[in-house]
Amino acid sequence: MSEIYLLSLAAQQRDWLSTRQAAIAMNVANAATPGYRSADVPSFDAVMKEAPISLAATDANHISSRGGFSPDKSTSKQASWEISHSGNSVSLEQEMLKAGQVSRAFSMNVNVTRAFHDMLLSGLRG
Amino acid sequence: MIDPLSASLIAASSGLETQSQRMRIISQNLANANSTGKTPGADPYARKTVTFAEVVDIESGARHAKVSQIGVDNAPFRVEFRPDHPAADQKGYVKFSNVNPIIEIADMQDTARIYEADLQVIKQTKQMFSMLAELIRK
Repeated sequence: MSEIYLLSLAAQQRDWLSTRQAAIAMNVANAATPGYRSADVPSFDAVMKEAPISLAATDANHISSRGGFSPDKSTSKQASWEISHSGNSVSLEQEMLKAGQVSRAFSMNVNVTRAFHDMLLSGLRG
Repeated sequence: MIDPLSASLIAASSGLETQSQRMRIISQNLANANSTGKTPGADPYARKTVTFAEVVDIESGARHAKVSQIGVDNAPFRVEFRPDHPAADQKGYVKFSNVNPIIEIADMQDTARIYEADLQVIKQTKQMFSMLAELIRK
């Protein structure tokens, strides 16, 4: 199991899902803000494929990146279901759908993690 | 940077706050839909408008919503010929407020929709929190 780093991979996906939930919350909060462009997180696949390069902090005053994910502000116009006259590109239906996806994937992730946890524990107990 | 789940709770609650302020302005408008001026010929209540803006919270990196401005609608007042009214001017015309109840009700429905969506996000985030808590409870 250590070859695939399952628990760390699961933790990373949970972090990604939480970030996506944060992006959804921001979009819904700004559903009536003029000129607001909806944000989303790049897909988990894409994030995992690109090698993470973080800047080295050589001074205490440097801003260090958390090493986590961040919502990408530049969602393309095509990605959004509707753009209102005020330039707002948040579609509540779309956000609710995304929130449902996040919730489902999160539940799945937690349950898989628990299953592996139980396996490890039963191995320990013998 | 705080953890994203807390950031989403903060962002969603900022949405709840802005929408409830919007609801307050809508109810003020509706309550004053038939208001007139106090003295003869005086201007009545003018419809209030709410404008939202996006603010970036530096600590959490979350982009909140806030009420940026409460303005006044410059639409012309509704004028009626009512010579017996105490607020009538010399020619007998009374100015009523420029609130259109239909527009206010449409606004109210939009507000309720966004408020509900915000509540849904909060509910789901709480569920995610408790799922995580379940993981350590064994």
